[in-house]
Amino acid sequence: MAQLTRRNFMKFAVASGAVLAAGEGMKSKALAGDIKTQTGRDFSPTTKKERKAIPSACWQCVSRDSMIGFVEDGRLVKLEGQPKSIRGNGHICARGQAGLTSVYDPDRILHPMKRIGPRGSGQWKRISWDEAVGELTSRIKKLRDAGTPEKFLYHYGRAKASSGKLIGGMVKATGTGSIGNHTGVCESAKWTAQEMTWGGHFDNWDIDNTKYMLIFGSNILETHTNHMSVAHRIMHAKVDRGVKMVTFDVRMSNTAAKSDEYIPIKQGTDMAVFLAMTKVILDKGLYKGAGEEFLEYCKCTEKHDDSVANKIAALKKHYANYTPAWAAQISGVPASTIERIAVEYATTKPAVLIAYRGPVTTYNGTDCERARQVLSSITGNVDAPGTNCKAVGAGWSSAAIPKAKTKKVKDIFDGAPKGEPESYPFPTHHASHQVLDRIKAKGPGTFDVAVWYCYTPVFANGNHMRNIEIVKDEKLLPFVVSCDTSYGDSTHYADMIMPDATYLERYDWEDMVDPTQIGEFYIRQALVKPLGEARDFGDVMIEVVNRLGIKTDYKTKEEYVKMSVDMTPGVKEAGGWAYMAKHGVWNDGKAKFYSYKKEVPASAIKEDGVVYDEQAGVYWNAKKAHAKPGDSYFKTKNAYKYYVATKMGNKLLAGFKPDKINKSGYMELWSQVVKDAGYNALPEWIPAPNQKNMGPNDMHLTTYKVCVQTHSRTQNNKWLTEIYPNNHAWINPKDASKRGIGDGDKIKVKSSIAEMETYAHVTENAQPGHIHISHHMGHYQYGRYASGKRAPEGRDDPDDKNIHWKWHGSHPNQVIPNRGDRLGGFQRWNDTVVQVRKA
Amino acid sequence: MKNNTELKESAEHAQQRSNVYGFLAAVYRKELSAELLVQIKDSPFREVLSDLGVNLGKEFFSAPEEELIENYAIEYTRLFLGPGKHISPHESIHYERDDGDWGTHWSASTVEVKKFVESLGLNYSETDRSMPDHISVEFELMQKLIEKEKEEWEVNEGKDALHYIKIENMFMKDHILKWIPQFCDKVIAEAELPFYKEIAKLTKKFLEFDKKETSVNGEEDRQKVEQA
Repeated sequence: MAQLTRRNFMKFAVASGAVLAAGEGMKSKALAGDIKTQTGRDFSPTTKKERKAIPSACWQCVSRDSMIGFVEDGRLVKLEGQPKSIRGNGHICARGQAGLTSVYDPDRILHPMKRIGPRGSGQWKRISWDEAVGELTSRIKKLRDAGTPEKFLYHYGRAKASSGKLIGGMVKATGTGSIGNHTGVCESAKWTAQEMTWGGHFDNWDIDNTKYMLIFGSNILETHTNHMSVAHRIMHAKVDRGVKMVTFDVRMSNTAAKSDEYIPIKQGTDMAVFLAMTKVILDKGLYKGAGEEFLEYCKCTEKHDDSVANKIAALKKHYANYTPAWAAQISGVPASTIERIAVEYATTKPAVLIAYRGPVTTYNGTDCERARQVLSSITGNVDAPGTNCKAVGAGWSSAAIPKAKTKKVKDIFDGAPKGEPESYPFPTHHASHQVLDRIKAKGPGTFDVAVWYCYTPVFANGNHMRNIEIVKDEKLLPFVVSCDTSYGDSTHYADMIMPDATYLERYDWEDMVDPTQIGEFYIRQALVKPLGEARDFGDVMIEVVNRLGIKTDYKTKEEYVKMSVDMTPGVKEAGGWAYMAKHGVWNDGKAKFYSYKKEVPASAIKEDGVVYDEQAGVYWNAKKAHAKPGDSYFKTKNAYKYYVATKMGNKLLAGFKPDKINKSGYMELWSQVVKDAGYNALPEWIPAPNQKNMGPNDMHLTTYKVCVQTHSRTQNNKWLTEIYPNNHAWINPKDASKRGIGDGDKIKVKSSIAEMETYAHVTENAQPGHIHISHHMGHYQYGRYASGKRAPEGRDDPDDKNIHWKWHGSHPNQVIPNRGDRLGGFQRWNDTVVQVRKA
Repeated sequence: MKNNTELKESAEHAQQRSNVYGFLAAVYRKELSAELLVQIKDSPFREVLSDLGVNLGKEFFSAPEEELIENYAIEYTRLFLGPGKHISPHESIHYERDDGDWGTHWSASTVEVKKFVESLGLNYSETDRSMPDHISVEFELMQKLIEKEKEEWEVNEGKDALHYIKIENMFMKDHILKWIPQFCDKVIAEAELPFYKEIAKLTKKFLEFDKKETSVNGEEDRQKVEQA
């Protein structure tokens, strides 16, 4: 190229001027306004600006803690806990604090993209939002016009509170009910069991008032569904009040290490210990007092109005063979320990019994949680101060969401058809982790359009390689849209990418469970504008339905959120959005216990269509349920939706209201619907079929989480992954030496479906016979920190020099099959049998 | 003090510089548009490019317009947007600051550029979704500053033009020259099609030229204006 001289510069400048003058399209500018400076005044481009503190809410995990974001000159610089929050009391965890790096993730997607090469080739072209929204809308419209709206699949990984309500609502407004969730890989067995027993789902533990904390399979101090708001209370209970904490776990977690007593237990056998503890309590008469009183509200036999004495006799009969010696043989926990802990738990009142994913991610998952409910019930530790309580969260009003005239659903979300392997009688939260398998089984034509929102089906579910094989097949999934913030393992296989706003760039009302039982209302507001062209997917879906000709009262999710907040009773009177934007949180100050004792006015059962079902002891509106005279409450589809009250003695009580399952207002420890499905009406131990014939070299594979990572959404976060970049497999020295494995050695882990490679961490913290691999690392994509896949140009990020790890981990999902617990279909993360050898 | 002819020449020169910055802003702002393509292929511009030794290849002038636009859209995405290996056209990614706060989007340089822009009384357009330190924003700021300088040469005997020259130089020195030449080198190395490779070469040459011109002219202007 020639040097630029004055002469050719002038020609170039004149021609440039002509181009600018001629091209209308080139007049779109980034800068607006006129330059205004005063001659003679010193120009200072380094003027300091005030730092803004904005109340908002975290979203790194489902706890969604209230927080404050600090923004300086448009840049987010710090996140802290919200001191006004009664849930968090000013605490957020390491994941929460590190969230701000997600906004500035160098591998973040900032523009809509369309695939130009073969699926999975990583070749993309930028497209406009107009084109992206237009294409999605036209494909949905085509399905609507053809009368097959259900061929639009919407599958989300995390969509709670207003995001879940609005986006789900907009999707349904298109006429499809084909909506997948992620609860089947989260904790759905707990929820199904709770729906069978006390109706509704979600438990809370009133740590602030408890005197004893018994924990099974929950690393609650490091990572938990309601993590920080519970964890900091546990530490206060221990330190300030000297409350004893006992933890059963398959491995020495940090929670176990901080407990007063740690009791190792074999994988998947917590239920056996629950059953045996129940027997001890029954045999020793420790149910007397609070337990006996609560049993008035429990159903323990076929007869809902049985006497407490009969209930106890029936329970004693059912539990007769579940002795501590029997449980010791199964669980490895000494019989004397089971007996001692049972007595401690039953006699130190009030007490909480926290059982989470460890016990339920197994073949017996749902029944294990039912067994836990029995234990809480016979000791009277239910819904009272200091005990296991029905969860309370904020009850927001919602601005109007349009509804489709008809809605159709593909029968694909609840596991296999009846009679086939992987079919489940109570998939109350679906078995969405098996959707890809079901699509494969049904074949081409099941869905024409799939949208994944904050969801990575390839990575988050078991059997990675099979998932990849299915999503690559364009006949099975002809058009896939991935809406996410970063370029993930599943985004890689999409046809179109819609870049989502991070949680720090959007608005929501929030409602996570409040450990105080009051119910905290809190909000999320955008701390910074979405980077690049990223857009809140809520806004995108509003635009899609508007383009379909469906009207909404709002054009953005921000407007929807503000309208909803302004119409919510309580919050409205406090000042509505203006108050919430300033303070971030609000509550009515009233703790809610004993909800089941609420009396129902007699007028409620006199309403048209309300009948009494003798078998259930329930008043329900059979007319609204479209039932015929004499139809059974238990057997009528969705009868629970028309539940009115339960007759207990001479009282008409709201009781434990049903949800998703037809049950009475009693705490149903004995379940008619479970009996009707062919299982024992009371919790029953059935050995997992895949573990019946384990050989001497077979081991149990279990997964776990650490305090600086979430399941699959934080590995692109440089601060977090710098702390925890990979996941060595924990193995006990006895097992390691038997196999010639040393600390740091490469090992192979083989299951019935695949073999994976990883590295060993030989530690006494692992239990003999078990191998423990954390559930985070080993991404195939998701940016340089998670997978090592980044631009070779090392100057893209100054922290490249801090990447001290070469190995990005190995995910146990490679060898974990996609299969569910026998009642609800919940993913059995923790009962895979493997063989381990040195590589 | 400048005489009328000199004032007119200064205004014309400012207009010319402003035009080139405006052109470069348009080229880097988004994928090659049909309008821009037509203008570049038009004979006056084609001649200028030829004089400058810019070689866009035969295909650029002969291939069907739609095909060219599609190919350059892919090239633009691959070069500047990603995902995967790309050269993000933002100061915060490339300017290796001594304080180490660089290499990510919206780092210290972004904030400084934003402050610079806002302290001039300008705002970022509500409809524009680019980040504050995008290359096209920096060029557009230069275009606007020099336009203002030109207006000042036309009134009050150019008394206030020097003020804008100072601001231009400050922005050139503290921002544009800190990263755009190196950015151009990366584009020259990575571009697969001629257009962005040649534009990057031209950008680099122009910045070298403008740096020299502004320092010589700026000093002369300063002396003349201050003498007055």
